[in-house]
Amino acid sequence: MPHVTFIHGIANKPPADDLLRIWRRTLADATDPLPLGDLGVTTSLVYWADLMYGKPDEDLSAHEGVLENTPAAVDASGGDTPPQPHNAEEAAFLERLRAEMTALSDAQIEAVNTPAVPAQPQGALERVPLPWFLKKRIMNAFLRDVHHYLFDVEYAPAGGTPVHIQQSIRKRFIDAVCHADVSRPHVVVSHSMGTVIAYDCLKRVGGCAGVDGLITIGSPLGLDEIQDRLQPEWTRANGFPRARVAKDWVNLFDRLDPVCGLDPLLANDYRENDAGVIKDHVVENGGAWRHSATKYLRQPVFRDSLRGMLGL
Amino acid sequence: MADTGTVPIPSSAPAGEGQGGGLSSLPDLRDAARRTLDALSTLNARASLDTARALLEPLRDAREYRALMRLAEAIGRLDPKDFRTRRLYAQALIEVDLVTAAIDVLQAFIHRLPANDCEAVEAMGLLGRAHKQIFFDARDRTDPGARHALTQAIAAYRNPFERNPANVWHGANLVALLANSRRLGIPVATDLDPVEVAQRLVKSLDAVPDSARDEWYLPSLAEAYLGLDRWDDVERTVKSFAAGPGARAFLLASALRQFTRVWDLEATERGRGLVDILRARLLQVPGGELRIDSGDLQRLHQQPAPSDAQLEAILGKRGAQTFKWWKTGLARAQSVASIRPRLGSRIGTGFLLRAGDVGIAPADELVVLTNFHVVNPNGASPGIRPEDAEVVFEAVDADTVYEIDTLLWSSAPEQCDASLLRLKQPVRGIEPLPVAKSLPVLGESAQVYVVGYPGGRDLSFSFQDNELLDHEGPPNGVPQIPGVCRVHYTAPTEGGSSGSPVFNANLWQVIALHHKGGKTGMPKLNGASGSYGANEGISIQSIAAFPKKT
Repeated sequence: MPHVTFIHGIANKPPADDLLRIWRRTLADATDPLPLGDLGVTTSLVYWADLMYGKPDEDLSAHEGVLENTPAAVDASGGDTPPQPHNAEEAAFLERLRAEMTALSDAQIEAVNTPAVPAQPQGALERVPLPWFLKKRIMNAFLRDVHHYLFDVEYAPAGGTPVHIQQSIRKRFIDAVCHADVSRPHVVVSHSMGTVIAYDCLKRVGGCAGVDGLITIGSPLGLDEIQDRLQPEWTRANGFPRARVAKDWVNLFDRLDPVCGLDPLLANDYRENDAGVIKDHVVENGGAWRHSATKYLRQPVFRDSLRGMLGL
Repeated sequence: MADTGTVPIPSSAPAGEGQGGGLSSLPDLRDAARRTLDALSTLNARASLDTARALLEPLRDAREYRALMRLAEAIGRLDPKDFRTRRLYAQALIEVDLVTAAIDVLQAFIHRLPANDCEAVEAMGLLGRAHKQIFFDARDRTDPGARHALTQAIAAYRNPFERNPANVWHGANLVALLANSRRLGIPVATDLDPVEVAQRLVKSLDAVPDSARDEWYLPSLAEAYLGLDRWDDVERTVKSFAAGPGARAFLLASALRQFTRVWDLEATERGRGLVDILRARLLQVPGGELRIDSGDLQRLHQQPAPSDAQLEAILGKRGAQTFKWWKTGLARAQSVASIRPRLGSRIGTGFLLRAGDVGIAPADELVVLTNFHVVNPNGASPGIRPEDAEVVFEAVDADTVYEIDTLLWSSAPEQCDASLLRLKQPVRGIEPLPVAKSLPVLGESAQVYVVGYPGGRDLSFSFQDNELLDHEGPPNGVPQIPGVCRVHYTAPTEGGSSGSPVFNANLWQVIALHHKGGKTGMPKLNGASGSYGANEGISIQSIAAFPKKT
């Protein structure tokens, strides 16, 4: 009985059951439907938004619709404060990662409500036609979630007991892929920050079960700043997690997805014996917010890839 | 707007949902009604009156009309001035088609109440509904009796609306009936201008504060716009209650009934499109159910799709996809046949398959699968022998009758309860149903659809309470009968549904052969204790894998 393990990305999310249902329904409602449940494909979700955010998003429609009129609909929910570095290394990391998102300083962003877009945008967010108050929240969510994970920050939302973020999320991922109910073929579908977590676990964490396929959508794994934090296990020549990904790794990106930054291709950075084996697919998600998970799930190439990996 | 009385009947609500007294299930509600009825026949009956009254609306909401009537009868004997109970009694009488009796009950107390009393207002609405039903049930609507009913219905709706424009559900029905009478050329209430009444209704609806707008508000508004021929507004309003994830089956079904029966919208292209789109949407919504006769099914199958613009106007960006799904379902229904004794009435259902899909050679031969208890070698009751049976694909051609050549294989009711039939004439122009490789995953709110001939009526899609409850398939199922994998679901099926295909929700692939069910007493699967109300099918893949001696 095939199985798909999903893992979500940056920013706050609806409750786990709702999010999984929204993603499954998105696949089932497509023009060329891929109703996983009807096809006997079991699913699970690695959910970690609760470690970063006090309570789940209640606006479910924002996560399943195509409207881009609320923070939740553009992955800007909950990330209203930038992360605080604890040392120079973290500060440098955040500065570099921020520079991938925008060339504008905080002061410039604050100075005018809608900063002018330079003729040649220097950062990914400049290309996004959303108001800057939303873009700033998106950036904060991205920086904070990536930073807390990669630096294993001890953190809890207000009122909670702090936990080591990386250790906790790794455990959830490994528990999910090693679960007794999971059978083969088994495919991991990861979005956004979830692609970093999935890669980290599949490449760098002992005890993680192997899977048959990996799909990354809207991934920031192409960014140098992130790759640097995945060393020494990651190398450009042998970055592919072959020991735990038996078959294909398919990567989907939209050129205007700011989370992928200016380097959305992965085949050149995660090679196997110095050969490019990842299948990178460029897609057009449409609208202002190209990072939306459900937009990626609606792409025919996504469903074709998943269908092929599951043997359907 | 549909007439449902004070509180709309949530036909889609799970049994027991929202019921008073902490009752959590339909059996609990029935037990409570029985116990209370017993208590009302004791010397201390008055002590149970409040309990009995509290059960009436839950019984109505659960469509337990007979129990409601018995309880209302008992309450009425003890407290003849309990007008709310009398009104609910009348509503139940209408629901079980005892319409003239309902009129007598209503008229007996309406005149004893002030005209602006809320019970009188509700009762007037029900009176209108009863007369309306007589009118629409009449074979000849120009007959004097039908005309009289229409006149009475209009009068019953008119009075409360004219006294108080806030009585918008009376107003919506008034608009609809006036429009209907004008279309048919029946001179009723000629002093009223339907357009002017519709304008007043829109004004009244606009005046309803947001906080007071109940779930019937939007359907009423849609009808008001229909009265003004403002189609863009009609479609926009329908979208508001039909397109979203929270769309409710009973609202859609009610609007559909009203649009087809009262407004006769299918007479125009745009109206046909609207109705067809609503049908498609209704089937998607949990609890949705449609009954379509064979002739209509043929027409709907051939009818051109609504325009993309209309689909998007009513259902949003997913409109085209929803409609495609619905058309696929219609196409599948073509392959579902009735089984009947020669020259007799339907006794069951069967469906066309590729023989290879159920493990029989030659693989490409088209065969019909039904239950053993419908057709079996010796005609064991309640079934009939193959030579006595005939098969009709009514959704394609109700006049072409197929006789059975051979019973290719059968399996007893305690096993697969299946019979595979070879027909004498080759079936042409009908596609075999596709078969699912796997059973749906449990625990993901999976739905299943049953298409068959329930109760010997016309072809019916069964879509109500269609939740997949359990099955004995992978990964956690434990079949109790060697080689047989059972599937449980809540879709209501009646006699005649035996042998129906059970489809998965999104792809319209056959997952099981329906064979039995009941409101109570179905033992649970996989070692779970107890029983429940459920239907049972046999997984099509276990039928395919079952050893066969042909």
